[in-house]
Amino acid sequence: MPHPLRRAERGAGAFGESVLLIGPGAALLIGAFLFPVGQILVLSIVPPEEGLSIWANFARFFEDDYYLRVAWRTFRLSVIITLVTAMIGFPLAYVVARSPRIVGYTLLLLTVLPLMTSVVVRTFGWIIALGRGGPVADLLSLTGLGARDATLLHTETGIVIAMVQVLLPFMTLTTLGVISTIHPHLEEASRTMGAGFYRTLRHVVLPLSVPGLVSGSLLVFALSISSFVTPNLVGGVRLPVMAGAIYQQATSTLDWNFAAAQSTLLLAAVLGLLIPYLALTRRRHG
Amino acid sequence: MVRRFPASALIGGGFILLLILVFMLLPLAIVAAASVTAGSFLTFPPQGFSLRWYGEVLASTAYLDAARTSLILATAVTASSVVIGTAAAIALHRRLLPGTSVLSALFLSPLVLPTIIFGIGLLIVASIYFGGPSLVALWVGHTVITVPYIVRTVAAVLSDADPQIEEAARTMGARPLQRLWFVVLPQARAGIIAGGFFAFNVSFDEAVVALFLRSPGVETLPMRIYGQLEFSPTPAVAAVSTLMILLTILLIVAIERFLGLRRVAG
Repeated sequence: MPHPLRRAERGAGAFGESVLLIGPGAALLIGAFLFPVGQILVLSIVPPEEGLSIWANFARFFEDDYYLRVAWRTFRLSVIITLVTAMIGFPLAYVVARSPRIVGYTLLLLTVLPLMTSVVVRTFGWIIALGRGGPVADLLSLTGLGARDATLLHTETGIVIAMVQVLLPFMTLTTLGVISTIHPHLEEASRTMGAGFYRTLRHVVLPLSVPGLVSGSLLVFALSISSFVTPNLVGGVRLPVMAGAIYQQATSTLDWNFAAAQSTLLLAAVLGLLIPYLALTRRRHG
Repeated sequence: MVRRFPASALIGGGFILLLILVFMLLPLAIVAAASVTAGSFLTFPPQGFSLRWYGEVLASTAYLDAARTSLILATAVTASSVVIGTAAAIALHRRLLPGTSVLSALFLSPLVLPTIIFGIGLLIVASIYFGGPSLVALWVGHTVITVPYIVRTVAAVLSDADPQIEEAARTMGARPLQRLWFVVLPQARAGIIAGGFFAFNVSFDEAVVALFLRSPGVETLPMRIYGQLEFSPTPAVAAVSTLMILLTILLIVAIERFLGLRRVAG
């Protein structure tokens, strides 16, 4: 149903009122959001020296083994992180959706709490947990999976463990949005026709959850390739990822053009993932 | 009638759930535990129990200054983004403007664009046009990333409100500002309050944009903690972090009371 003001005074004062209401926000987002992001694109094609081509900053990235290795590590870790969050996030979302209200609610609350605490604080927890003498490292040496006195700090495994915890809520919430639209009658129908619980889960619930898992994965991957605080602090200087390299160049070496070129590549990758994500989630909300 | 969930699924599911919850809460619990150690070093499990590191924090001017900066920043950000976000949400809700769906996407886009890209963009603009990063630049940056939360919570509440009441006020002769003040804002109240708590929490905890806009004399709590973590953190860092976790829990409870988390998260 259209808003009644729309019918009543279309074109009259109501239109001007809407313009006034949205004006400050639109000005803020254009001036302090779109413009800065646009500046990155402009700086990325400004060559470092006179006479070089506008692709010089990008060429430097693709010709240098170091940066390619950093990009490859970022990509590889993000794939692993996405797969692990999907594998944990699906059962968690299913349990939240099908539990009695109060259980599901408590679970949701406990998932959202870590999401809303500062990423610096969560990462700090992982630094203690993964470091020498921490509970995770102890568990590994107890089970014989790791050496005595082992540490997962400054390892790729450590980055994956910490990042999965940071990003799991995004996967769970996105998947939960889809699973809660699957009517329990579908599962009951499958069960009364003789399929077991796990068969029903695999052949009914999982296929219907695919849109949620896909959009959750796109979101988690996009957040993962652009994360900086957790991989930087857990991985340390030996294991730089793209976002960490950009931060270094922007704030320490002040090589803005090169940092802008890398940001542009990252932005292109993120947009390539987020546009399908937004299309998928919008279709769902109808 | 078949049993809905077999015993193996209930037990296995419960077990998996427990593991996931331990995993999710582990870093927060460890920080809290490490903060009450009586020893001089960061260890887990803590040695003994004492609140000495909390005393240390409360006596440290560096931490108190950072806490003050964070509080001032988060309060200013909440004020600006509540005003801007509420106004925008009302305009978007009325759908009178051409391209409302494009505008909605614009207003929500800071939620999905990685903050590192936004952070470097702001740093570049602040340095080229405004003589370098400052607390004001940080205020503007945090307002941009918190406006979407307000737009979302206010829009959610308005979509449940009865639009006929505003129409009734109009036919009874209420002028636009009167309608806004006496009808629409009270209708949006729960969303405005919950969104405000969200904005405060996001700004108080935000580290990435803050690190890019680092400037002399401006240090927020997350910036200070990040700096300490790069070297060798003491239990004092754990004490500050625990206080930040407690503040977040308070804010979640507040949001929950006014709006319900499920509606914001879903």
